[in-house]
Amino acid sequence: MNLLVQCPKCRAWLVEGIFNQPELQPCPACAVPLQVEIFPALFRKISRGQSGETILIEGESSCFYHPQKKAVRPCDGCGRFLCALCDCELNNQHFCPACLEAGKTKGKIKSLENQRTLYDNIALSLAVAPLIIFYFTLITAPMALFIAIRHWKSPSSIVRRTKVRFVIAIFLALLQITGWGILFVVLATRAHH
Amino acid sequence: MAQIEYQRLTRPRARTRFAAVRTSNGSLWLGTDHLLSVDSNGYTESYKRFYFHDIQAITIQKTGNWQIWNFIWGMAVFIALALAVATKPPGWPSSWDSNDEAGLFFFTGLIALLVMFLLTNFFLGATCKCYLRTAVQIEELPSLRRLRKTRKIMAKIRPLIAAAQGGELSPQTIAELMRQPEAEPAVSEAVPGADESGITPTLQ
Repeated sequence: MNLLVQCPKCRAWLVEGIFNQPELQPCPACAVPLQVEIFPALFRKISRGQSGETILIEGESSCFYHPQKKAVRPCDGCGRFLCALCDCELNNQHFCPACLEAGKTKGKIKSLENQRTLYDNIALSLAVAPLIIFYFTLITAPMALFIAIRHWKSPSSIVRRTKVRFVIAIFLALLQITGWGILFVVLATRAHH
Repeated sequence: MAQIEYQRLTRPRARTRFAAVRTSNGSLWLGTDHLLSVDSNGYTESYKRFYFHDIQAITIQKTGNWQIWNFIWGMAVFIALALAVATKPPGWPSSWDSNDEAGLFFFTGLIALLVMFLLTNFFLGATCKCYLRTAVQIEELPSLRRLRKTRKIMAKIRPLIAAAQGGELSPQTIAELMRQPEAEPAVSEAVPGADESGITPTLQ
């Protein structure tokens, strides 16, 4: 019998009769209630990859990276001919390794983007957190304002997100800067008198 | 490339904690052809995409946290009630209105808060852990903590995964596939927290 999935608690291999049942089923080893949904991908063999065919006939298109190998398709990013080895498939698109790397580092391929900075939260934290010790706001309020303006158009979260945090940060930062301004004017006026 | 619209499946739930402080949150979103797991520490977000055609299995494990928290909140309510009764002024409850309003407000507020926690936990239902498996990883989905909610989401994503993979598998089909000698597990198992000894566990 082929062993497919382990119990996440006791690591015992689960047996048939547990999979794709409508209700929770006890693990045969530790009796913890489990519901295991299995999909056809579990039985799909992983393709081992190809090394690329050597060019036998003169005049055949060759791979940009491996001139001795036969080209199988062009890269969807740069258009260069790729052999089977260099052909990297991603969501039904085909890229060369260089485009794949560039797409990840430069964020050109959205489905490879795996991290983003939340500048709105940084600006809001700089505007709100130092209020506990008010003196810090002399430095942090301009910083919050700068970050909010500088990154107003920077990509925020990949999922839905409004600019309300930026707006609150700008409002609070301006309020703090105005407060400091008034304070300095009052102090200067008093010192003058 | 056009922005992918995501539909929220779960609200952010604690992924990691330092003492009682939440240090990162995890949430789950539904894309056009994948699930998006978002981990956020408040200042950066990291994303993991699980494409429907790559999902091999989803395991839901019922846990006992629901009973434990019911017991904890129940005990807290009981202790608060006991303290309220033990510290009541003479002639209680009539005397509380005039002589000990602070105590009345304090204990009423405390008990109400604890009862609210107890009832919230009670009505949210049984707790669980959810693991999603692909050919290269087994990922725990920390935002799926309640069995009812997890099943609701499963009912939503199961048809999408099945459609991407050409249909659902019945228990009978799985049994037949398991008996086939040529069928092998696609990859070796790697349950989170498991040791790296490589020893194949046996069925006990």
